Amino acid sequence: MTSKVAFRVLQSLGLLLCLIFSLAAPSFAQQTDPKPLIDALSKADFGEAEKLIGQLAATGDARLVPALNAFSEGDLYFRKSDNLVFIGKAAGSNYELTDPVTGASAGQTAKNAVTKIKINNSLRRVIRSAMGGLTLLSPDRGVRLQAADAVLRSPSAENLELLETAISKETDGEVKARMVEARAVSLLSSDRSIDEKRTAIQTIKNYGGRNAIGILMGASAGLDPSLKGDVDAAIASIESGQRLWDIGQNVWYGVSLGSVLLLAAIGLAITFGVMGIINMAHGEMVMLGAYSTFVVQQLIRDHAPGLFDWSLAIALPVAFLVTGAVGLVVERGVIRFLYGRPLETLLATWGVSLILQQTIRSIFGPTNQEVGNPSWMSGSFPVGGMTITWNRMWIIAFSLSIFVALLVVMKKSSFGLNMRAVTQNRRMASSMGIKTPWVDAFTFALGSGIAGIAGVALSQIDNVSPNLGQSYIIDSFMVVVFGGVGNLWGTLVGALSLGVLNKFLEPSVGAVLGKILVLVLIILFIQKRPRGLFALKGRAVEA
Amino acid sequence: MISGFVFRALEGRIVAAVGILLGIGILVPALNLLTPPDSAIHIPTYAMALFGKYLCYALLALALDLVWGYCGILSLGHGAFFALGGYAMGMYLMRQIGPRGVYGNPILPDFMVFLNYKELPWFWHGFDWFIFAMAMVIVVPGLLAFIFGWFAFRSRVNGVYLSIITQAMTYALLLAFFRNDMGFGGNNGLTDFKDILGFSVQADGTRAVLFFMSALMLSLCLILASAIVRSKFGKVLVGVRDAESRVRFLGFRVENIKLFTFVVSAMMAGIAGALFVPQVGIINPGEFAPANSIEVVVWTAVGGRGTLIGPIIGAILVNGGKSFFTGAFPEIWLFALGGLFIAVTLFLPKGIVGTIQHGLKARHALKAAADAEKGRGDATTVAQAQAAE
Amino acid sequence: MNMISETRQKSLLYLENVSVSFDGFKALNSLSFVVEPGELRAIIGPNGAGKTTMMDIITGKTRPDTGTVLFEDTIDLTKRDEADIAQLGIGRKFQKPTVFESHTVWDNLELALNRSRGVFATLFYTLSAEDKARIEEILETIRMTHRKNEYAANLSHGQKQWLEIGMLLAQEPKLLLVDEPVAGMTDAETAETAVLLKEIAKTRSVVVVEHDMGFIRELGVKVTCLAEGSVLAEGSIDFVSNDPKVIENYLGR
Repeated sequence: MTSKVAFRVLQSLGLLLCLIFSLAAPSFAQQTDPKPLIDALSKADFGEAEKLIGQLAATGDARLVPALNAFSEGDLYFRKSDNLVFIGKAAGSNYELTDPVTGASAGQTAKNAVTKIKINNSLRRVIRSAMGGLTLLSPDRGVRLQAADAVLRSPSAENLELLETAISKETDGEVKARMVEARAVSLLSSDRSIDEKRTAIQTIKNYGGRNAIGILMGASAGLDPSLKGDVDAAIASIESGQRLWDIGQNVWYGVSLGSVLLLAAIGLAITFGVMGIINMAHGEMVMLGAYSTFVVQQLIRDHAPGLFDWSLAIALPVAFLVTGAVGLVVERGVIRFLYGRPLETLLATWGVSLILQQTIRSIFGPTNQEVGNPSWMSGSFPVGGMTITWNRMWIIAFSLSIFVALLVVMKKSSFGLNMRAVTQNRRMASSMGIKTPWVDAFTFALGSGIAGIAGVALSQIDNVSPNLGQSYIIDSFMVVVFGGVGNLWGTLVGALSLGVLNKFLEPSVGAVLGKILVLVLIILFIQKRPRGLFALKGRAVEA
Repeated sequence: MISGFVFRALEGRIVAAVGILLGIGILVPALNLLTPPDSAIHIPTYAMALFGKYLCYALLALALDLVWGYCGILSLGHGAFFALGGYAMGMYLMRQIGPRGVYGNPILPDFMVFLNYKELPWFWHGFDWFIFAMAMVIVVPGLLAFIFGWFAFRSRVNGVYLSIITQAMTYALLLAFFRNDMGFGGNNGLTDFKDILGFSVQADGTRAVLFFMSALMLSLCLILASAIVRSKFGKVLVGVRDAESRVRFLGFRVENIKLFTFVVSAMMAGIAGALFVPQVGIINPGEFAPANSIEVVVWTAVGGRGTLIGPIIGAILVNGGKSFFTGAFPEIWLFALGGLFIAVTLFLPKGIVGTIQHGLKARHALKAAADAEKGRGDATTVAQAQAAE
Repeated sequence: MNMISETRQKSLLYLENVSVSFDGFKALNSLSFVVEPGELRAIIGPNGAGKTTMMDIITGKTRPDTGTVLFEDTIDLTKRDEADIAQLGIGRKFQKPTVFESHTVWDNLELALNRSRGVFATLFYTLSAEDKARIEEILETIRMTHRKNEYAANLSHGQKQWLEIGMLLAQEPKLLLVDEPVAGMTDAETAETAVLLKEIAKTRSVVVVEHDMGFIRELGVKVTCLAEGSVLAEGSIDFVSNDPKVIENYLGR
């Protein structure tokens, strides 16, 4: 679906560019008058039409692009009265006719006065490559690049000479490289010498990628048997290169999952890791953050739809404040009575989590809420042999920046200093005039607030429902424990390595079993290193 | 002498509890079977099944209390042992269906036919034999607890860390049992049971016996737990809870002490699960959910951990409350449960029974302190005399 | 060489060149230390001198990076864990009194009694007349007979210290390590504790770590001064307290 849409968009974009080009430089490469060739289409069958298109392409006349485009769209007609061919656009019960070469208007005519020139898919392919050939010589760099791409997608021997001309004239490195590739691909289906084809295979091999494998496989059937060895070697070589890309893609998926884990766990690294509270309500803080995003988006939809792309940026502080405030209340109301009794904080915060869940369920209902993606979060772009989606990209960037920001707060700010002082030696900190109860309260609020902004990000990739938090809580604890309690870097490394490990297990054993294996590995790991990856050592730990 | 009195009183309490449990175990089935349905004292079968379920939960809470209340190991994975015991019973019940399943296959349970199994997986063999299945009810949870505990306690995984990895354990099992190719019925679990030992599981008589068995097993486990707790081993156990390193420096192998207790507790949980399944008629992976295990912790905390009767009372009260609330005000149930968690940890950390016991202990301590005042004089004189030498 | 091996053979506890570091901080720096059977020894030293770490190593809580730790010349303590070492006959009193607060004084002693400590042995243990007599004897020694049924939680700080010493006696160790036994005690209690320790040392070796110089003087035994993880000086209290290095490092001028 999407590729089709994308293709259309590309096509119309190409058309637009071609129009601009044809208006700007109407007198480019006019060796033969193409008009009779076009008119001949009116009587041609599919086979003849294919040849005619080849001849049209050979003219190198870029003015033909709109006509060819119209042909492939089914908008090319001939007038029954004189068998002349026009581009037709429906205008009420009539057709608005334009000249296929010059683009000049040829007035209106009744629908029954013209006949559509028939088109099929194989013709469309020929047209596409012809158009590619025609635009290869465009003075516009973008048009040439697109043309080379078009040839690459549907190579044909007819474009070969045109390509060679274009390559010899080309000065832009990237465009030239693309054209060389397109030439190599086109050359395989031509009647050139075996040696030339062998070089072409090498050229294609050097470009690599999944497409190259497809091209080589497709071409190998029609090739001279003596080239088979070359083709196989080239495919093998590309595949081994592609394996690296696949590993890269896996690492990327892993890092992406790891950054989600990091987001989920980073607030817990404070409330559990630094303060020692087994905060079972942590997941619900994430959930509250996601619901804050939902509410912000609803308000924007109702009152200021123009701001929608900014909704996440607006939701961030809102979520931070909302969950931070809830955290503050929870700390003052419940947790402060339970310091030094970690297992009881577990019970009480589990109670808090049930209440928060039910509250949200009572207000918003038990079903998933629709949280929209701003435009800059959607879509993807390729990097070498892998695809990178924008939303994952942003989430990785976002989680890392939260991590860095938190690190800065902890290490550089006076609040961070107080926080560390209190967690390391409460009595000493208190006797030095630090208001330990407020440091506790705000530390917990900070941890909750960060869980909230994590919720903003997670609302983009997960279902926003009252159960959202439940699905993250165990993973979050695993990450913090695995990384080593009380160590932010441990949380980062723990999250990323668990993410990558998960994604590498997934292809061979499946998602669920992979997850089970990761859990089992963590359990075994904790046996080996009961205090996680980055454990504090020495006497102080035991005290 | 005073200590002997205190212990005798506690011993008496256990006896009283066992008496009450067995009394209920006989009375409820009797009222169900022997009174006409329209009688005022008749107990309908659904109520008996519901209460039987509570007794199973009580046994699970007792099992948790043994490790948490006495040994200080907060297991957040006891639901897993319960569910494994339940699955062992469920597998026996599935094999008893025989050719009466929807697909009529004499060997394979329906879900296996549905999933295109060609033959019975190896781990299903033997479960048609009641004795074997009942052995598995305690062996499987016990073995899991042994393997898990052997690693965990040897490497001294403690406190919070242990709680979190027990949670990971039950979570991993939850995910595993959801998989269809595990051979345990996947998502739907095991259900549509017909017979147990040749008696229909739906029949009132069978249900009455199951109810009695629940009360009996709970009583036996209570006596066992009491025997453990009141032995010297039990005192060591409490020592591990309060000052683990002191126990170790006295020359005890703390890892063995914990392992033994953990395994015994897991077996009790397995028995609870096995009695639970025929009374509710289904076992599915949902029983492995970490939330279930945490709920058990609440029952125990409400009743009073570190007392043997507390968890039983807690399990029955909380579950009774749950049945009432989810029937009358389903919206409020989670608020009530959540509030209960918070209230108990804040205001009643020793639980209901623990608070009562603490009151008694405090009175005793006051008396002892008065005695001590009398004695202090002599001790000081002795010391002074010796110092003067 | 010969002399060294002779010292070793005669020794009850023998530490040679023991080093251990935590995250780069050298807690012990090739420490050598010998305790003879029946000896009462005091250890002094500033904070961070490695006193507690030394005890951790002897009792198997911490493993040394390098060095030899031998008990009765033959048993390598670095290969044993806490429970093993306790069963060999080394008892340890912590700096902070550590008793089982929810047990009575009597139960605390009963648990400490040197009997089979296996799971099943303890499950089926019954108090014999002999054990009863032994517990009563210890109660006398630590002067707590009248409080035997008291919960340990209700004892005063000093009484907890004594109960812990009593538990160590019940363990019947050959070597007793005592970490700051009089910290937080009244003067009267301190004096009594000195008497108690001297009495205990009649039948076994005792190593006492203490800051209280008056207390050590009262014990009147050989003193070892540690600083920065190794031995600074060793000898009588007068000899050690006049050593210029000790004065500079620990006592102050």
